[in-house]
Amino acid sequence: MKQGTVTTCICLAWAAAIGLEALTAHGEGLPDSHSGLARAAHAVLAPAAFPQIAAPADAASATPPRDLVMRYCVSCHNDRLRTGNLSLDKADADHVFNSAETWEKVVVKLRGRAMPPPGSRRPDNATYEAVAGWLETELDREALSHPNPGRPADLHRLNRTEYGNAVRDLLGVEIDPNALLPPDTQAYGFDNNADALAIEPALLDRYLTAAARIARLAIGDPSIRPTFERYTAVKGNSNEQTWLWQTDRLGEDFPLGSRGGIATRHYFPLDGEYVFKVRLARTYADLVRGLNVPNEIEIRVDGTRVGTFKLGGGGPEVSAAAAPAAQDPLGVKNPLNDADEGLQVRVPLKAGLRQVVATIVKADRIKPEGLGPDRIPIWTREYDVPTVPVFISSLLIGGPYNGRVSQDSSSRRRIFSCQPASRNDESACATTILSTLARRAYRRQPTDEDIQTLLGFYQQARGDGDFDAGIRAALERVLVSPDFLFRIEADPDKVARGAAYRISDVELASRLSFFLWSSIPDDELLDLAIRGRLQDPQTLEQQARRMLADPRARVALVNNFFAQWLQTRNVWLLTPDANRKYPWFDDNLRAAFVRETELFLDDQLKADHGIVDLLTADYTFLNEQLAWHYGVPGVYGSHFRRVALTDENRWGLLGKASVLAVTAYPNRTSPTIRGKWLLENILAAPVPPPPPNVNTNLEEDKTGKAESVRDMLERHRANPACASCHARMDPLGFSLENFDALGQWRTLDGGTPINATGVLLDGTRVDGPAALRRALVAQQEQFVRTVTGKLLTYAIGREMAYYDAPAIRSIVRAAAPDGYRWSAALLAIVKSQPFQMRRSRS
Amino acid sequence: MIVTRKAMSRRTVLRGMGTVVALPLLDAMVPALTALAQTPANVVPRLGVVYHPNGVIYENWLPKGVGQEFELSPTLAPLAPFRDQLLVITGLSSHQAEALGDGGGDHSRATGTYLTGVHVRKSDSVVGNSVSMDQVAAKFYERDTQLSSLQLTVDDNSLVGSCDVGYSCAYSSTLSWLTPTLPLMAENNPRVVFERLFGSSDSTDPRVRASRLRQDRSILDSVTARVRQLQRKLGPTDGTKVNDYLESLRDVERRIQKAEEQSAKEGPEVVQPAGVPDGFEPHVQLLYDLQLLAYQSDLTRVITFMYGREQTGRPYPQIGIPEPHHSLTHHQNDPAKMMKCAKIQTYHVKLFVDYLTKLRATPDGDGSLLDHVILLYGSGISNSDRHTHGPLPTLLLGGGAGTLKGGRHLVYPDDTPLTNLQLTLLNKIGVPAATLGDSTGQFKELSELS
Repeated sequence: MKQGTVTTCICLAWAAAIGLEALTAHGEGLPDSHSGLARAAHAVLAPAAFPQIAAPADAASATPPRDLVMRYCVSCHNDRLRTGNLSLDKADADHVFNSAETWEKVVVKLRGRAMPPPGSRRPDNATYEAVAGWLETELDREALSHPNPGRPADLHRLNRTEYGNAVRDLLGVEIDPNALLPPDTQAYGFDNNADALAIEPALLDRYLTAAARIARLAIGDPSIRPTFERYTAVKGNSNEQTWLWQTDRLGEDFPLGSRGGIATRHYFPLDGEYVFKVRLARTYADLVRGLNVPNEIEIRVDGTRVGTFKLGGGGPEVSAAAAPAAQDPLGVKNPLNDADEGLQVRVPLKAGLRQVVATIVKADRIKPEGLGPDRIPIWTREYDVPTVPVFISSLLIGGPYNGRVSQDSSSRRRIFSCQPASRNDESACATTILSTLARRAYRRQPTDEDIQTLLGFYQQARGDGDFDAGIRAALERVLVSPDFLFRIEADPDKVARGAAYRISDVELASRLSFFLWSSIPDDELLDLAIRGRLQDPQTLEQQARRMLADPRARVALVNNFFAQWLQTRNVWLLTPDANRKYPWFDDNLRAAFVRETELFLDDQLKADHGIVDLLTADYTFLNEQLAWHYGVPGVYGSHFRRVALTDENRWGLLGKASVLAVTAYPNRTSPTIRGKWLLENILAAPVPPPPPNVNTNLEEDKTGKAESVRDMLERHRANPACASCHARMDPLGFSLENFDALGQWRTLDGGTPINATGVLLDGTRVDGPAALRRALVAQQEQFVRTVTGKLLTYAIGREMAYYDAPAIRSIVRAAAPDGYRWSAALLAIVKSQPFQMRRSRS
Repeated sequence: MIVTRKAMSRRTVLRGMGTVVALPLLDAMVPALTALAQTPANVVPRLGVVYHPNGVIYENWLPKGVGQEFELSPTLAPLAPFRDQLLVITGLSSHQAEALGDGGGDHSRATGTYLTGVHVRKSDSVVGNSVSMDQVAAKFYERDTQLSSLQLTVDDNSLVGSCDVGYSCAYSSTLSWLTPTLPLMAENNPRVVFERLFGSSDSTDPRVRASRLRQDRSILDSVTARVRQLQRKLGPTDGTKVNDYLESLRDVERRIQKAEEQSAKEGPEVVQPAGVPDGFEPHVQLLYDLQLLAYQSDLTRVITFMYGREQTGRPYPQIGIPEPHHSLTHHQNDPAKMMKCAKIQTYHVKLFVDYLTKLRATPDGDGSLLDHVILLYGSGISNSDRHTHGPLPTLLLGGGAGTLKGGRHLVYPDDTPLTNLQLTLLNKIGVPAATLGDSTGQFKELSELS
């Protein structure tokens, strides 16, 4: 008990140090608070209403929530009816913290204007804001002295992205974790949720296999047998059949003057010879295309050309191809069936991670694919004609042949912190090497027992082989250790039950690096943690800033946080109706949707814009194809460049094709899905799932007359059971109706002019995307709160609970004076209670 | 156990250096294979489930006539050589895959419910289902084989998230559920499947494998010790995580032990595949070959296989259908589109028939592997245009070690639960089970002529 008291005191002092400034400013020093909010320029709280309502909690008279609840809520939310499984009868309206869980629900409903339901008597906007503000102030004040940082799982498995990054940072080996490990499950929007990262036998099997393979790659094993890795033109698409058009340069990884091909990073485990083999695209009858004209294909490794193939340009096989009709696909073999058989080159290479590109040298006569709405469906494009230009469908990298262990590969340099001069030195050197490895891999100071375990594996294998074999065996053991595969957080020895305590420095270092880098801490961070220096707020902030400046942070946040929050990962799953609606959709456009979003978000982070700029940025990154899609003139060529957007409908996230397409159906828009997306991801006002026994399918008009999606939805909302939610979702979604299911601008839907008028939750009327955006910006704190909640979910890998709400508000307040810049928001998260603390087992 | 190395052609997967035109793994070696461990007295049944996405054109699928007098439909025509080991079963449906108030998402429910008979939880964050029929069997056999089961698919599994309005991708990406909250992800990379079957030593050489197994075992022992230590340190954990971990370690240990026991037996010398082969057809063939190999070596007795996830947009240009599959299946009764859908379904059946042919050519105990397997071939969607979940197109193939009498078309009353059939199959292969999902009883007719 005594211990518990001490711990709590430490926590309070610490909590005060990090959070109090913002909170007291809000509760007492109103001028400060207002100037802070005023700097942010869009205060949500009505300044006039706020000070009047912020009465002390022990006031004998009715508190604002009691008043509100009695007038508007209890007729449904009482003990008898328990509508929505909520009763407000017994909620403590004087000391609201006693019923914090209930009141946090009320806050969400008030801020989102979700209750009372539309059609009922509702408070005016000033009352909504004032009561919500009063509740928040009270809840936050009490939360400060009763911190509840939540209890993330004690075993938090690395997901496969983190595993791949950890291997890269530990050993300097890049592997494709998707090929080594099974996929992880997403929960609460993210695939790093500790509860969802399950452990099953097949996974352990794969860890064993992966460890063996990675150890062999990293250390080099002269007995490695040659194997082949296959890379395809569309990343992550294991099949060759793609709709990727290869008439132009495909990206920055490709040499100028090239068209199409494949660029990849490949790890070469030994100094030795490697085979590069190119396979070309075929017609449906399995004939290699485009050999009627001469072509030149080249292979480059780290920019240096290592092989060139010339092929095509006449000859009997092409004459045969000229008469494809005569070919029986199941009958006589056509020479064009395997005309790419010989496209391989064997090259001596040094061990290490290298960039490999296979591409086609661009000839003048290849015209870029014409851009225009009249294009025929891509799958009917002349895939069946052997005279369509050569495309590369896959690249195989095989080897090593005649391999030797490289003494100076990047990964060996990283692993072998010493080299034994003689057999007598080996044991000491092995201890050094394995201690360093264990320290980095386990993200803490290794114990004697850790080292002895690894030395046991070393000695066993050293007995049967050489020094390398010994280190390799110990490395395998490291890579399947729970200390590597899991982030482990344990309650301190003498902490009281259910107490909030500050996690240890090494635990914090891992939280920090997995949050910002999706990977393990580097030596600098780990050294500080082991020396107990992260306790110092300045050191912690300096480390967080240093890590944010590292490009790894932007890559990790863009790919793992943003792509899941915004659901833009699903762009890879889009199957637009290519038959009737969007015949021009191809994989180049799909990749462009992704690339634009990545470049935009990367730039936002890099330039450290404010969070709200995600909605308002008047620039983006386009190539010719995407610019055409958007109707932006004057952009030529396949490379992406920054473009100023003159049409304000395109500004920010709500004008991005990726966002607009993942919130639509394959063949039409869905204002409902878009509305739901906005409520969940922008406005922090999620809607419940449809009630049971409701038909959620849109009925088409019985008479078969053409009608817009809006017409169909209006009819759907005539059903009161549907209206209660759709009245919130659809009007938001309607305002984006000018964007079709792929995000193209349109003025007609089903033959009728687009009606893009919509209504926000607070009754604000908007017409079209630009007006919607302005209205959302006017309530920007809701948006910032949403982003913060998502960030915190991602940062600590657990779902948000009611007791996290004060922390989220505190983070938002802390970032406000800085205009909600990314650096300010991310730092405020790092400094928050849920990030730095944990609740012990109760 | 399986094959002598001499009899084995080295021309297996990789044809020489640098060539990865994936030959069907077993073409060259099926005749040479001899099952050594299987004696007539020692026959074990095996269970396989083959799922094809996006439903069928039912009128093209439904055979004419009932009982023994039925006539194969156009879609099923390729099965003619296997008529005597074929049971066509109609009248079944998957009621739990209906919306039942959950709205859209029929594709996800179709797969999610297929082997569980449970209305899955509509969520893209927290999954909820029930233990699937194949996993009931897997649990029963787990002590006998290295791997309790295998899950295979042709589709790339690298995408996670929400696959269908509000449903986790887990529902449409696998048929197998180890627990109500733990889907077993299906694997599409033949190399990974190979490694699971034969280990990661690059080799099926017994000495190399034995040394790999020794290393794996000592790693597992050491890791288990560490997890136990953590368990003490962490105290009673919040969830089941440490227990799951220890259970998984025991499971892998069991597999390794089993592998060591069997390591004296010679395995087939098969060079590991390079990865996913070029094109759908060689990919499917390779995955079927691996299934055969797994059954034949008795590495597992339970396999689920999917031609693709529901809603897959895979085109089939090799048979003249370049349009995406899913949008085609919303044919709105356009005859041209319906014919194309039917063509895809026939194509899937044809590839399945190639597999059956190899199973029949593989001796096993007193007969062939085909005599001893039960293969359930079907889909959780009937009419793809309208997303109906009954009557489901359902086939049984194989002799089930004497438990199935083929050559018949059995017709059950409309809306008979699919799980009744699955429950019957479990009991046929010796797995005692009283109920499965929404099952209401068992079928007597599968082994009796009626």
